[in-house]
Amino acid sequence: MTRRILIALCSLALVAGCKDKGAATTQAGAGERVVNVYSWSEYLPQDIRDQFTAQTGIKVNLTLYESNEMLLDKLQAGVSDFDLVVPSDYTVAILKRQNLVRKIDSSKIANWKNLDPRFLGRPYDPANEYAMPIFWGTTGIGYNKQAVGTIDSWHAMFDERYAGKILMLKDSRECLAVALKLMGKSINENDPAVLKQAGDMLKAQKKLVKVYTSDDFDQTLGRGDVLLAHGFNGQLAKLVATDRAKFAYIVPKEGATLWIDAFCIPAKAKHVAEAHEFLNFLLDPEIGARLVNQVSYASANAAARAKVKPEILSDPAIYPGDDVLKRCEVMADVGDETTDLIDKIWQQVLVAP
Amino acid sequence: MKRRATHLLQLLPTWLVLGVFFLAPIGIMFGISFREKGPAGTLKPVDDVKAYVASGKFLNNYRESLDPSYGGVYWRSLWVAVVTTVVCLVIGYPVAYYIAIVANPARKNLLLAMVAIPFWTSFLIRMGAWKLILGTAGVLNTFLAIFHAGPLDLLYTPGAVLTGLVYGELPFMILPLYASLEKMDRTLLEAAADLGAGRAARFWRVTVPQTMPGIVAGVVLVFIPAAGQFVVSDILGGSKGALVGNIIQEGFQRNKPLKSAIAFELTAVVAALLAMYAVYLRRRKESPL
Amino acid sequence: MTRRPGNHVLRGFSWLVYAFLYAPILVLIVYSFNTSVQTARWLGFTPRWYAQVMRDHELIESAWNSLLIALVTTVVASVVGTLAALALARLTTRVAGATRGLLFLPIVIPEIVVGAALFTFFVSVKWDLGFWSIVVAHVSFSVSYVAIVVRARLAGFDRTLEEAARDLGAGPMGVFWRVKFPLILPGIVAGALLVFTLSIDDYVITSFVAGIKTLPLHIYAKLKINATPETNAISTLLLAVTIALIAIAQWLLREPRRRK
Repeated sequence: MTRRILIALCSLALVAGCKDKGAATTQAGAGERVVNVYSWSEYLPQDIRDQFTAQTGIKVNLTLYESNEMLLDKLQAGVSDFDLVVPSDYTVAILKRQNLVRKIDSSKIANWKNLDPRFLGRPYDPANEYAMPIFWGTTGIGYNKQAVGTIDSWHAMFDERYAGKILMLKDSRECLAVALKLMGKSINENDPAVLKQAGDMLKAQKKLVKVYTSDDFDQTLGRGDVLLAHGFNGQLAKLVATDRAKFAYIVPKEGATLWIDAFCIPAKAKHVAEAHEFLNFLLDPEIGARLVNQVSYASANAAARAKVKPEILSDPAIYPGDDVLKRCEVMADVGDETTDLIDKIWQQVLVAP
Repeated sequence: MKRRATHLLQLLPTWLVLGVFFLAPIGIMFGISFREKGPAGTLKPVDDVKAYVASGKFLNNYRESLDPSYGGVYWRSLWVAVVTTVVCLVIGYPVAYYIAIVANPARKNLLLAMVAIPFWTSFLIRMGAWKLILGTAGVLNTFLAIFHAGPLDLLYTPGAVLTGLVYGELPFMILPLYASLEKMDRTLLEAAADLGAGRAARFWRVTVPQTMPGIVAGVVLVFIPAAGQFVVSDILGGSKGALVGNIIQEGFQRNKPLKSAIAFELTAVVAALLAMYAVYLRRRKESPL
Repeated sequence: MTRRPGNHVLRGFSWLVYAFLYAPILVLIVYSFNTSVQTARWLGFTPRWYAQVMRDHELIESAWNSLLIALVTTVVASVVGTLAALALARLTTRVAGATRGLLFLPIVIPEIVVGAALFTFFVSVKWDLGFWSIVVAHVSFSVSYVAIVVRARLAGFDRTLEEAARDLGAGPMGVFWRVKFPLILPGIVAGALLVFTLSIDDYVITSFVAGIKTLPLHIYAKLKINATPETNAISTLLLAVTIALIAIAQWLLREPRRRK
């Protein structure tokens, strides 16, 4: 009996050894062309990656991380495994400040002209040298209109009538943005007194909130555990599309966050040429359209709009009109002092009873 | 002498593995807990170590972690861990007893494996399944609706968190209890019966003391992770009742010094409780190691 | 045990607990056939999520990685932990005391600190994150569990059995393999099961030190985006594989019919 087990274990160990060698070569084989992408969401479906490999012979290795903080951690530690990363707006500014990203050579990207100019020249990258915007969207309210009627203001998230049926994102800046907008201030507010006041609003709101989560806000709304959900438009739009009589999504009249996710090339990237090729591929109008159709987020690829499914293009939740965009703000890097203050305030909101 | 050398040699692998891959990394983190945070997740460089230590600045993170606003969190974490452990013990002991002693001996391995099998599927998905069960329109409430019983508000409550915790920790209580029960000398029970002891007396005066090592092992293996966990309170608690683990995890990257300090304090508290328990057991000659 | 009513109560209670343990499993198996993408509402039966899983080669690669990591970790941790337990059952020197303290550390220190610490460590010694970084991380937190469980088994171990074996002429290796080892084997198995469980589902520490995809990482990423019934299908398949493995293990461990 013991012998049988030993034999089984030894053969497994042998296989394990071989597998490890296999794993090593997929990451960065000599002579094999790869591009290692580190992304924080499933923006790059398998078939798109496979098509890129078929067209160029470059293998795409996708690794997912769960927050901008984790990305910063790895890059600051000097990890050089990645050729492309996908930070959100203000994180790009932080990466630039810490010299963790290198310039993108847009002359190598023939399809650069396909980019929507509305998303270029943003504060986090005014000269468009370090980031290539890929997806953008808004942060608003998804709600059960059969239960709460029509709403148009952030006040609904503080309404006692919906106590225990409200969901907020588990994101310090997004939650503060809600409070700041209700106070008529900018989401990039620096004044400590104003921020503390916003924090107090959130603390008072806490007993009305059932859930804080940044992951499945759409599912929680869909399941009926809450009636109002603070969340990102892509997921909420998908939910709304399943039952337009029951659900709706709005960007409140006070204004909201406009978020932009962009590709950057880490300073220590090893496969820079491949990275540029991949970026060019993504900006192809047809590929861009397929991306949008699959992930339901609006793309910064203007040329792709022609081929996007009409029901997505006409969905105001995914492609809001200019009137909506006017009242949205992009998050900027508010500097270290304010970031520390925000962290402290958010901590107090989390530990509040 | 040869025996002593053999034993020391048996400890060598442990020291190698844990020394290099545990002590060293933890030591580095411990050092970080005394530093000041720098911008956006970096550390502020310390130019003059002597002055830094002398000024008492190196204790700043520990001072900050004792801020009164954290008090409620610490007590809640302790309470949650205690309740989880007690519930696991009360539920787990009968099951371990059943497998070790009452059930058909040929089935023991199978029953044991059945305890472990659910835990070879993703913990996250099982928590997700609990959401489906406990939700407002979930399995349980749908079932109750058949009898016209009102929908119960079960999800995103402290009760849901407790359920999830007990669910996740139960095998860590059952398996050590089983190991201890299985090797218990049953002739002692027969002897006690012969001496006229009733069932309750036999249980409390023979079985329990005999299985104390298993009980202690189970308590240790359940209480400690429960004290520091954060996943269940996020998924099933809606991140509402913040526990120590949540505080450590939230914003860990941006302020490693402070969060590490809190983590080591949690470690110290748990270690102190363990040490007290170890002393008590040493007196009874029943140390878990 | 001859108390019948008590046994019935115990049996009933135990099966209730098993029901508790398996209720979520049942739910996720049933919902893995749900047509609805919003997993909560049941809209109809469909096996299409399983088809999607089969096409997902990343998933299969992750599952394979997790399995291998768990197996290697289990073997290494079981050996190291059992050796430690054996030694600590006898020694009372200061070295033993220090070892006890060392073994408690991985259990006492929160996973997030261990994960971050290991990440910092690997980066500073320029160790590429990959298969072995995960194995090493898993082993480092698993050894203690094996040691505790085996030690519980060893407590009060009857030394007279060893002495008897020696009197009968067995050498020290013989005494160990033929007397001690079979008696502590249930403890080692219990410890090994524990370690395998811990390793195959570990998320927190693995997320810090992973260079290759493991199953929990893959599932977590999928759950983050949208928990379609596909994640339930993955789990159901994993369950089926696990049960198959158990069956194989049972076959391997069965007593041979005839002994020479």
